[in-house]
Formats: sequence, structure tokens, C-alpha cells
Amino acid sequence: MKGPQDSATVARVQVSFRLNGVSFRKRVPVDWTLLRYLREGLGYYGTKCGCEIGDCGACTVLYDGVALNACLILAPQVDGVDIWTIEGVAPQGERGLHPVQQAFVERGAVHCGFCTPGFVMSTIALFLETRNPSRQEIKEALAGNLCRCTGYIQILDAVKTAASRLRDRDLKKFVSRRR
Amino acid sequence: MIDVTTYIRPGSLEEALDVLASGEFTPLAGGTDLIPHARGRGPRKMLDLSGLSLDRVTRTASSIEVGACATHSELCRDAVVTKALPLLSKAAALVGTKQVRNRGTLGGNVVNASPCADTVPALLNHDAVAVLVSKDARRKVPVEAFITGPYATCIGPNELLTSIVCEPLEKPTFVSFLKLGRRQAVNISRMSLAVCLMMDGKGSIKGARVSAGAVFPVARRMREVERLLAGESPSKRLFAEAGALAAQLMVKESGVRWSTPYKRPVLAALLERALAEAASGNFGEQ
Repeated sequence: MKGPQDSATVARVQVSFRLNGVSFRKRVPVDWTLLRYLREGLGYYGTKCGCEIGDCGACTVLYDGVALNACLILAPQVDGVDIWTIEGVAPQGERGLHPVQQAFVERGAVHCGFCTPGFVMSTIALFLETRNPSRQEIKEALAGNLCRCTGYIQILDAVKTAASRLRDRDLKKFVSRRR
Repeated sequence: MIDVTTYIRPGSLEEALDVLASGEFTPLAGGTDLIPHARGRGPRKMLDLSGLSLDRVTRTASSIEVGACATHSELCRDAVVTKALPLLSKAAALVGTKQVRNRGTLGGNVVNASPCADTVPALLNHDAVAVLVSKDARRKVPVEAFITGPYATCIGPNELLTSIVCEPLEKPTFVSFLKLGRRQAVNISRMSLAVCLMMDGKGSIKGARVSAGAVFPVARRMREVERLLAGESPSKRLFAEAGALAAQLMVKESGVRWSTPYKRPVLAALLERALAEAASGNFGEQ
């Protein structure tokens, strides 16, 4: 794990947050995005760095229960926030994947895999809003995630498959206590 | 690396205005425009507004006050906004992506003052007024006057946009909001139109409000078109005339540009369509 370059000129702010169900208390650099802090500060490389301007969705995380682009959030803004990344999606301490991940694998929705963590997080955010989304609702929820392997049809199918299998306990941990 | 040297998140408006009084801080709302633009543009001191509870929607007897930090997603689902300000709700639903709508705010969309900002034409149709507060003063400026040019507003460095006050329209009013772009989602508007037709009891148009985004250097009401529509009965011919007039205004004001041969007929057709949609009542009655 690489630490941030510590110099006298970089201001830091003390924050407390939850990441994948674990509480953290850290001093974060004010000039880092959440995306950079997750990857380079904490070593959570599952959240991908694509466009860094909020277009591609590769850095999508669950932020107090809704999908946001981690590249558009400053690290010091996470104080008090409940964050979930792809690393926390699969059931802890159990073998196997989350039903959303499993459906992506089975329906051929993973090609190169770079966009997949973002798609999975957007899909979970959608399920937190509606358990049985229409194809149009799925398209709207995933419009902010780009796949350059042209796998959209498979991705839509995967979300439909996941919806049909989802049980309450698959979403329980992602529900933010703040909303 | 984002060029941020200082970050402050005050817990009260008083505290925020004290900090802003120095004139050195940039207010940070959703950050969906500000953060990508804070790279390589020189150092900034950020004042995070998220602790100020500026995201509330309040209904008074005659108006609806929308907190500047209400997100586009909140505008899409808020019961008061969807019912009384359907144009604003629809415009907000067409902004960017789910992730951006979850974070980007109404105040940010207005202060950023992009000529293609989606919420602005909707706000203009509701005679929206920006509430600007500083340590020592408070003033109200119509949104139409607040935006002074492309990406330019009259806000002072010590001022904060705290809310936007909208006037609901008298009933029955038929509305429509159309947005034209290259694709359906993640779409920067090529053109957007907000239309309100206030009807009298006999099926004639008592008054009209028509605002255009990404057509003029600054989004604005097209009062010339509104005058043409007032007092008339809805008809295909009337709406075609209105479209032609709008196209004329655009060329007169924005000049002939590389995109004009495309935009001229398209604006005419889009306005005709928006008016027909509003008149049909299909979009929604307010």
C-alpha cells in the first residue's frame, strides 16, 4: 500500500467514515478525490479510475446508499459517510459471490472487466430503489456506466437475472443508516 | 490532483458567510462541475456547503422555495416539485447520469451558468428568483438577470446562493419540456425548450411562456414568441409560425454559425413539437 506524499504543503483533514462495513478514522489530503484515496491511500483498487470527470462510471461507489462517482468527491467530504465498494459486495466470511456478481458472470456480462465494478455498484443502488426494475429503469440507472467491450445487452440480461434471484438479505448491509 | 489548498465544512450558514466574507473561498455544492474544473486551474480554497441543510423544498402560500443544494434526484422525486413545478422536475430528470443527478445540485447548475444548463429554461418559465445572502446583506435577483453571460453570473465572491423561489402557474396550464441532443443519456443539450400554455375556459391560449436553452448565448424567455401565441387558439399553423419566429430570433441574436443550417429548421420543428405536446395535455397539466 502506497501512502500519500506527505509534505508540509499538503493540508489534511481528519475524517471518520465507514467503508464496506468497517469504521475508519483517517487524516486525508484535501487535494485528493475519494477515488484516489480509495486506491492509493487505502489500497482498494477494485474501484476503477477511468475518465476522472464523471462521465464513464468506472469509479461508481455506494455513498450513503446511492450511486456516486468517486472521482467527483473530495476525500475530506466523506466524514460521516457510509461507503461500499466492489470489495465489500461479496458476502463476508462466506465462499461465493453476491447474486449480482454471479449473474454478471453467468450472463457473459464481464468482458475485459474494467467497467464491471462500477456496473455492479450501480446495479445494487438500483435494487435499493426498486427490487423489480423494468428494462427502461435498468437502462436509466446504468446510463452513467460505459462499457467499451459493447456488452450492454448481456449486462441488462444480468441485471434482470439478478433481480429474479435477489433475497432481502442480499441488500440488507448496503442500506444506509443515514437515509 | 485537484488544486485544493484548504477545505472547510461549516455547520451553520452564519459560519459559512463569515468564511465567504474573505472573498477567498469557492462554495462547493455537488462538485460535479466544480471538481473536474479544479484541476490545473490554480489553487482554490473550498467551502463545502453540505453541512448547511440547504436542500429543503418549502411551500408558501404563493411560491415554492427550493434549497440551492437540492440534488437533481431530489427534484425528480420531491412531491411538491413534481406536482407544482413539473417542468423543473422533468428538466432535472434529463440531466447527466444517475450518479451526477444524485450529486449535482440545482444551485450548482444555476451558478455554473452553462448556456445549456437543463434546469434554467424550466426555472425561467416559473419566474424563478435567486436568493443571494452575504454576511451583511440579502438580495433577490431574477434568474434571468442573475445569469449575465455564458458561465457568468452577478454573484459576488462573498455571496452564497441559498435558494431559488419559483412561482407556480395559474391553472389550467399545459406544459412541455423537450431536450435535443446526440443521444438519450449522458447528454449535453444541443437545445432545450420549456413551454407553458395558460388556457382560458374556452380553449384559447390566455398566455404563454417559452424559454430556450443552448439557443442563445444565455438561456432566456422568448417573449416575442409568447406574444404571438397569446390570445390565439391552438393550431398546427400557429405552432409552426411560433417555431419559425423562434428560429429567426436565434439567427438574429446568435448570428450565423457553422451549426446554423442545422439548428434553424430543428429549433423551428422542436418548438412546434413542444407546443403541440403541451396543447395535447399529454405531458401533464399543472
